[in-house]
Amino acid sequence: MARLRAIWTAFRHQALHFFADPQWLIPNIIAPFVMTLVALMLFRSTSGNVVLYAILGGGMMGMWGNTLYASGFSIQSERWWGTMESILAVPTPLIWIIAGRAIWNSIIGILNGLFILVIAVTVFQTPLNLYDLPLFLMAFILTLISLACLGLVFSSAFVLTRSASVLTNGLEFPIYVGTGTMFPIALLPFWTHPLAFTLGPTWGIDAIRYAALSDYSWGLAPGYWGDLAIMGLLSVCYLVIAVWLFKQVDYRARRDANLGRY
Amino acid sequence: MFDPNETVISVDDLVRVYRSSTGLIRKKRKETVAVDHISFEVKRGELFGLLGPNGAGKTTVIKVLTTLLLPTSGKVEVLGYDVLRQSQEVRKRIGLILGGERGLYYRVTGRQNLRYFADLYGVPILEREKRINEVLKAVDLSDRADERVEDYSRGMKQRLHIAKGIIHDPELIFMDEPTIGLDPQAARDTRKMVKELQQAGKTILLTTHYMYEADELCNRLGVIARGKILALDTPSGLKDLIRDTSVIEVEAFGLTDTELDAVRSIPGVKAVSATMSEDKQVLRVQVSDVAEMLTKVASKLQGSNVIGVKVKEPTLEDAYLWLVEGHG
Repeated sequence: MARLRAIWTAFRHQALHFFADPQWLIPNIIAPFVMTLVALMLFRSTSGNVVLYAILGGGMMGMWGNTLYASGFSIQSERWWGTMESILAVPTPLIWIIAGRAIWNSIIGILNGLFILVIAVTVFQTPLNLYDLPLFLMAFILTLISLACLGLVFSSAFVLTRSASVLTNGLEFPIYVGTGTMFPIALLPFWTHPLAFTLGPTWGIDAIRYAALSDYSWGLAPGYWGDLAIMGLLSVCYLVIAVWLFKQVDYRARRDANLGRY
Repeated sequence: MFDPNETVISVDDLVRVYRSSTGLIRKKRKETVAVDHISFEVKRGELFGLLGPNGAGKTTVIKVLTTLLLPTSGKVEVLGYDVLRQSQEVRKRIGLILGGERGLYYRVTGRQNLRYFADLYGVPILEREKRINEVLKAVDLSDRADERVEDYSRGMKQRLHIAKGIIHDPELIFMDEPTIGLDPQAARDTRKMVKELQQAGKTILLTTHYMYEADELCNRLGVIARGKILALDTPSGLKDLIRDTSVIEVEAFGLTDTELDAVRSIPGVKAVSATMSEDKQVLRVQVSDVAEMLTKVASKLQGSNVIGVKVKEPTLEDAYLWLVEGHG
């Protein structure tokens, strides 16, 4: 019960900050619009399914970018505000506080992804013929949960560094490419595959495309259900890593005395 | 049951070393001893002050006691719990009030800040709003509670810091320089709140480098410098350390460091401090034999623009200065 309350209060607090800071317009409205525009420009001369493939990738990029941005930025903000020590001094373990925020960020990620689809359909008149809507929605939501788990891992690492924003920017594009949001992983050099396969979003976007595209021929071998199973397994691993990392964070922050620095 | 003999803070031979390194390839490692084998105890209901100059180790001690820092060695217990191994138990029972502009969520209101921390401290949900209203009233912020913190004055932010630190009604409160940077009125209001908290039965440990504040508020003081506790006594006990000392106070314009060093070098001078007061300098020279030393001090300041000279009884500040200049 105490954990749920901590998650809820952190979720609510993150929501308050989200609406209080006009910066949210950039990652959640402007960036998705630009991403959709780029995707449509790249694939406008191709047939319908390729365009949808690209738009789904754009949506995933929006969701992923938002998770990464929010994980890094919310920790960086705590440092700027000097509140990092205050939240470490409370009896609630830091992981539940960050989890509440990660859930909020993921929900904003959903809106972000949906916003891209809406832009594509309404502004650019792209046909959105989803092959299997229930499976699409399931894959979409499970991918979001996986993103939240991954965001938790990133947040724990960001607590220990004063360069969270730099890391956020540095990780954004390699992961867009590495997870196959814009083009199939098969096109990438073989040595990049092991990294791509350890990231939940790689499997998530693949499952989403299996559900959305009727003739999806570039998919990964496990197929829709295999993708979800692997993503689920990876998400559990992320949670285990996050719990371990947060214990390390608590210890190292107290050992190194760097929480007040920004 | 309130037992004034109960020890609520026990610090035994605490050492805290900061390790840092510079350079990318040939790293140079540096160790700084911030707290150097200190020991003290605080009893229930006491208002205990750690008094010392900047960099003395006061904040490090508070951070160790509030579980934000690990001790390098030594044993530290707060309310009977080991800060190293039972940090969660300690955190539930203490309040931490940090001074300064930072440490609050500026983009949300004062009330929203308090609600957040009430939840994180586990204040029962049914009592939460009542408790928030109580602390807002106690720190005189009820009228502005629903405004964003970024619109608060420095004094209001400090009052919100206090409200945040007591939102869960802790039995032990730590305050790190609670009046730093405040104007005289805001500092006086803050001191009043600190006194009211003590009268309500709270045990308080505060750090400060303001003598007046330490003298006015604290039952007992630990004078700390260069990481060591130099003296541990009541304010009057500390003043007694230099009861055979008198203070020659010189008001002047344009005193140079050379002249101050010349005064310091006079045999028989125990300590010298120079502060600015309005547009003039005030030099306080601690001596044993006023009659003999007056002429010697005057001779060293010949040629300076001296406005006046007075002989005064030593204050807590003089005792502090005497201690931190190496007599402790």
